[in-house]
Amino acid sequence: MTVEVDDELWSAIGDPTRRRMLDLLLADGEGTATSLSEHLPVTRQAVAKHLGVLDRAGLVHVTPVGREMRYRVDDGQFARAVAQLAAVGTAWDARLRRIKRIAEAVQRAQGSNQAGPEQERRDEGVRHG
Amino acid sequence: MEYGTIEREIHVDASPEVVFEVVSSPEHLKEWWPDEAELEPKAGAAGRVVFHRDAPEEALVVPVMVVDAQPPQRFSFRWGHEAGTVPGPSNSLLVTFDLEPSGKGTRVRMTETGFREQGWEAAVLEQAYQEHGEGWDYFIPRLGAYVARLVSSA
Repeated sequence: MTVEVDDELWSAIGDPTRRRMLDLLLADGEGTATSLSEHLPVTRQAVAKHLGVLDRAGLVHVTPVGREMRYRVDDGQFARAVAQLAAVGTAWDARLRRIKRIAEAVQRAQGSNQAGPEQERRDEGVRHG
Repeated sequence: MEYGTIEREIHVDASPEVVFEVVSSPEHLKEWWPDEAELEPKAGAAGRVVFHRDAPEEALVVPVMVVDAQPPQRFSFRWGHEAGTVPGPSNSLLVTFDLEPSGKGTRVRMTETGFREQGWEAAVLEQAYQEHGEGWDYFIPRLGAYVARLVSSA
């Protein structure tokens, strides 16, 4: 089983500057390239570029207000991005549980496990690093 | 370029030798990960894993290269690079299994590093999210709170 990953969405949310921009937009409800650049160590032009990436990935909505473009986060697409990211971590949890099950079955089959195979320490062993 | 790591630890009631076999041999690999695996557990060996789809022609074939194979302590490989390219930090993911005797079993530590140039940090973020629910003190607390709200209202 693999995780389907939407590359555009991933690369959009994978950049730290863009994540900070999303963060700022979420905190303030909306923002412009100018307002965002005041909080970021990059130029307004760079911010505008990043906003373009977020827009193409569907993560923000754009509304022209006067001479400025105002941006808001798209809740649905943002939730989708989060769900995809969640799938990657849980994929490894599932693989490791399978590794554990298989290895313990092999060990039991070899009959050399003195640890008491019935006392399966099932999920207790799973720990996030 | 950004790099980072997903880490997991799990205790297995089996010897390191057995666990090494399970994480590295093609027969076992396909029981816990891909549908098919062609791989020699030797450093430098190139192989591939295949994930089946509904239609056979849509099967996903992913190159794999063994980086380190030291039974029964360590097995690592790179995957996800384009076929025909040399795998490195910029184009692939490095998966490492470190095995350590623990009681009568094995402590398995898995790391996946270089989580796509673009995606790793988000993946770590996700990990914090999964584990703590609201303990998003990782990179962007407000973003986390927002997600928690979205999820709880879903």
